Amino acid sequence: MSKVAVLLCRCFGEVDGVIDLDALRKKTEEDVSVAFSCVVDSLCLEVDIEKPLSLIRESGAEKVVIGSCSSLGKGDAVVETLVREGIHRSRIGLVDLREGCAWIHRDDPQGATDKALNLIRMEMGALSYRHGSDDVTIRVCPEAMIVGAGPAGLSAACALSRLGFKVHLLERGSGPGGMLNLISHVYPSDEKSGDKIKKYSEIVEKNPLVSFYSKVKILSVKGFAGDFKVHISSSEGEKKLRVGAVILASGARVWLPYGLYRYGKLKHVITQMEMERQFLREPVPIKKAVFIQCVGARNKDRPYCATICCPSSLKNAARIKDENPDARVFILHRDIMTPGSVLEAYYRKALAKGVQFIRFEETNPPEILGDEHVEGVEVFDVINGRKRMLDCDLVVLSTPLVPNDDNAKLADMLGVERDRYGFFSEIYPLHPLETRMDGVFICGSARWPVSSDQAIMQGEGAAVKAAALLGKDAVSALSLSRVPGEKFGHASVNAEACTGCGNCAAVCPFEACRLQKMGGRSVSRVNKMRCKACGNCVSVCPNGAIQLPEHDYRAVGAMIKKAFAEETIS
Amino acid sequence: MTGPGRSNNRRTEEQATPRMLVFACKWCGLIGADGAGKKRIPLPASFRVIPVECASLVEPDAVIRALASGISGVAVLGCHLGGCRFNHANHAAMKRLELLKTLLDAVGIGGKRLLLAFGTAHEDHQYAEVINAFFEELKALPSTAPWMY
Repeated sequence: MSKVAVLLCRCFGEVDGVIDLDALRKKTEEDVSVAFSCVVDSLCLEVDIEKPLSLIRESGAEKVVIGSCSSLGKGDAVVETLVREGIHRSRIGLVDLREGCAWIHRDDPQGATDKALNLIRMEMGALSYRHGSDDVTIRVCPEAMIVGAGPAGLSAACALSRLGFKVHLLERGSGPGGMLNLISHVYPSDEKSGDKIKKYSEIVEKNPLVSFYSKVKILSVKGFAGDFKVHISSSEGEKKLRVGAVILASGARVWLPYGLYRYGKLKHVITQMEMERQFLREPVPIKKAVFIQCVGARNKDRPYCATICCPSSLKNAARIKDENPDARVFILHRDIMTPGSVLEAYYRKALAKGVQFIRFEETNPPEILGDEHVEGVEVFDVINGRKRMLDCDLVVLSTPLVPNDDNAKLADMLGVERDRYGFFSEIYPLHPLETRMDGVFICGSARWPVSSDQAIMQGEGAAVKAAALLGKDAVSALSLSRVPGEKFGHASVNAEACTGCGNCAAVCPFEACRLQKMGGRSVSRVNKMRCKACGNCVSVCPNGAIQLPEHDYRAVGAMIKKAFAEETIS
Repeated sequence: MTGPGRSNNRRTEEQATPRMLVFACKWCGLIGADGAGKKRIPLPASFRVIPVECASLVEPDAVIRALASGISGVAVLGCHLGGCRFNHANHAAMKRLELLKTLLDAVGIGGKRLLLAFGTAHEDHQYAEVINAFFEELKALPSTAPWMY
């Protein structure tokens, strides 16, 4: 039977002042499984941990119970010290005697001491059933797949190819560019969007590391971080790819405001995108234009601000003014959203050019007059409290970006979560651009509507995050942890006890469990690379065939049994 | 552990200080526990914390086992719904444990003996409030007698 060493920390009187540590030491030493029990001033100091470490070596104790501060205090650091000394993590138990006992029970020293004894006994009981998970290491395929060749996807492809990784760039359409192909200029630089995309497209075309696929349909994605197997069909036929990381840059689409402001029924009521198309072909001088903001956005169905519509309207309004300084341009808005120094300056520039702004309320939207074509717009100005008649011959509706229709399918295939509107969601707020699925990153408007500048930034960010994974030769399942240190563990199945009911496969939030035929019956299998050790499968298993070795049901049972052992220290 | 032979006095004493077992999620409840300790908020000594990686690791069997062994109440502290590190794991846990509550009601142990706090014990004072309130609630309930173990 392996012996346990009990190390108790005084924390310079912080613990000692409430809990009677010497009585605790004597009481724990009575236990036959305890090799020795010692009290030191502070386990987190190097001078003090030397003595217990040499005692552990001498006595041959294999397991250690530490009674010190909480894991968020110095507890984890003490555990790390012991791990460095060669004691396996699963053989170390940390008992929180300071935050969880001494500091909250200052007025009840007897109760606190009894509690401390129980907590130590609980941990000792649990340690006898705790094991470490088996690790598995896979080779990382140093290639990346980027879904979508818009500004985000292109910048990610450029960044990754610069770092020397092979990139498969998939595009739904026929060429790179994404939404920038549809617009004439980009804000806030007022640069031609063709020029902006050209630089990136050239790099992508010339670099032999980037292979571009057009008219792509993704048929299936299988695998895990470091080794995804993707089946696609493109203009060159079907192809199977093996990639280490996936970057989702599939963008979003423009919502069309059918049913609002007589769009589609009245001539010269157009969307912002149609205006862009007009500018892209050949600008027609416009004399009187009215822009209406927040069409179908910031309402009950889409309570979000799509962030790009205000600057786009400012851009096009200023452009009309540039071409025809005598033009009358109004922007009817609910709030002008131009955060940051650059966009605010952009707003001021439009203001200086003579674009006029009128604020209206959601409950009292402007009305478009005219029978065959637009004759004017009637709007209730909330600032001066009067109804205004605006003479105009063109109405431009600013509509928000909405998620692509195939987002749900893509999310299902990749195991990525979507937010309530349908955009892909990242791990907010600590891990931007990362999804819950290791090795899958998101950027650009697939994540949230963004301007081309921001999409490019996010693309590079996602590329660097992917490169951190692709740069490794091999990756182990336990290292796929988003917190410092290793992953807690992963579930393992006792194939003999498994009845193949499939409960675990049904509840697994990461699709790590699945049923597999084995010797004529179904048996659950856990993919260690996907498992995140949440323990859902453990809780639903009817006969305990699936277990987390670090958190065995027998360990929990032992803890419950010892929690209130009726024994007091006198 | 005392069996059926223990005196009635003893049971009244227990009722005054109910025994509580807390399963605290490492990413929420345990942070609250740590904060409460750092703020030195006084709490009754008769509760024990079992840290778990996620609230979904709390097996319904473990709750039943705890209640059967004479523990008066079990609290499960997890992250707020939608804020789980493990996709929807805490959603599943909540559904499962809510179901267990009705089950406990049906068998006469009482669903009140199981406290589910998802996202309400993340901060120090919140944690202390949850523990104290549950403690008061348990005091009003009759003490449990162990019949297993």
